[in-house]
Amino acid sequence: MKKLRTCLICFAVAVIVCSGTQDIEKKTFSWCGVVHAQDGWKNEFDDVCSKTQDAMIFSPDELRNLIARCDKLKPLVEKLDETQRKVFLKRLQLCRDLLLFVLESKEKK
Amino acid sequence: MKRAFYIALIVLVFTGVTSAQTGVKKKRPLPYEYGKAVIGNYSEKAGLAPVVFDHWLHRAKFTCRLCHVDIGFAMKAGATGIRASDNMNGYYCGTCHNGKKAFDGKTVFDTCEKVFAPEGKARCLRCHSLGKNVKAEYDFNKFTENLPRGRFGNGVDWEKAEVDGLIKPRDFLEGISIKRQSLTAQKDFALGTKLEGMPDIIFSHKKHTVWNGCELCHPEIFVGVKKGTTKYSMTEIFEGKYCGVCHTSVAFPLIDCQRCHTKPVQ
Repeated sequence: MKKLRTCLICFAVAVIVCSGTQDIEKKTFSWCGVVHAQDGWKNEFDDVCSKTQDAMIFSPDELRNLIARCDKLKPLVEKLDETQRKVFLKRLQLCRDLLLFVLESKEKK
Repeated sequence: MKRAFYIALIVLVFTGVTSAQTGVKKKRPLPYEYGKAVIGNYSEKAGLAPVVFDHWLHRAKFTCRLCHVDIGFAMKAGATGIRASDNMNGYYCGTCHNGKKAFDGKTVFDTCEKVFAPEGKARCLRCHSLGKNVKAEYDFNKFTENLPRGRFGNGVDWEKAEVDGLIKPRDFLEGISIKRQSLTAQKDFALGTKLEGMPDIIFSHKKHTVWNGCELCHPEIFVGVKKGTTKYSMTEIFEGKYCGVCHTSVAFPLIDCQRCHTKPVQ
């Protein structure tokens, strides 16, 4: 009985640790989740900011969506250590500003 | 007594006139000095001389975009607020200067250390060199001798050097830059001038995006979303605004009028 209980506890712990949080905004504690969140913001940053070169081809709705994704990223970047925060806040700002610039340019046409 | 007064007056007037002639005139930097940035936010507190950064060497190897967008250096010297710890963490100068990264078969020397050995002090001086007699690894004249000549600035036509393949500035750093689609440059356009007889400017997006990408200029430097919405004058440009952000400091200087004002007068 004791063995079974230990096994169940171990299993439960393993499930919690390895499941991770898919939503990086959830604050549920999980080691895998933390790793995922750390990678998550960078993957999201790379994905959004890789589109600045061809920002002109996006529709206004697509641009609005990209800007919203930048805004969601900001609080995550603000939680990074001092150096990373400084670097990536600037990079994120440059990226967001350009997307907004292109959006405004399209809307004024 | 009266004589002495008149002599003093003449001397005073003469020195006043002389200093008025020479004192306000801005000294044109020598070719190797053009683009030099002095960064000293925290250096002196740490007992080191401010950092002297030579654009000519770095711009021959990397695009402006790589350093000012991907690495995150501000466009104004000192505005980034670089700390030794930032470099040690592998950011800013430490992105490349980490004793591991190699370019052109040469390992780039490491930057800052928390505790440095006496021999490490010589390494500090490679960057923290303002007012120090430091022999640079790269000699400007030797480095630029085979590059096409420019009339002003560094005395090098960097644009031609890039077009001719004499320099190949990198635009991507593994682990730092983001993989992107290649850029489709916007069309060139003409910018009218206010002076009669002055040729219009032909602005080439293509030439600029090779070095800068998009977000280096828009919207921080050029905020207008439509051509003609932002009116700017040569006075503002000479003050370091708009084109003057780069063309008073690193890119060919504003006194090279014909490089921008290229449209033949009708």
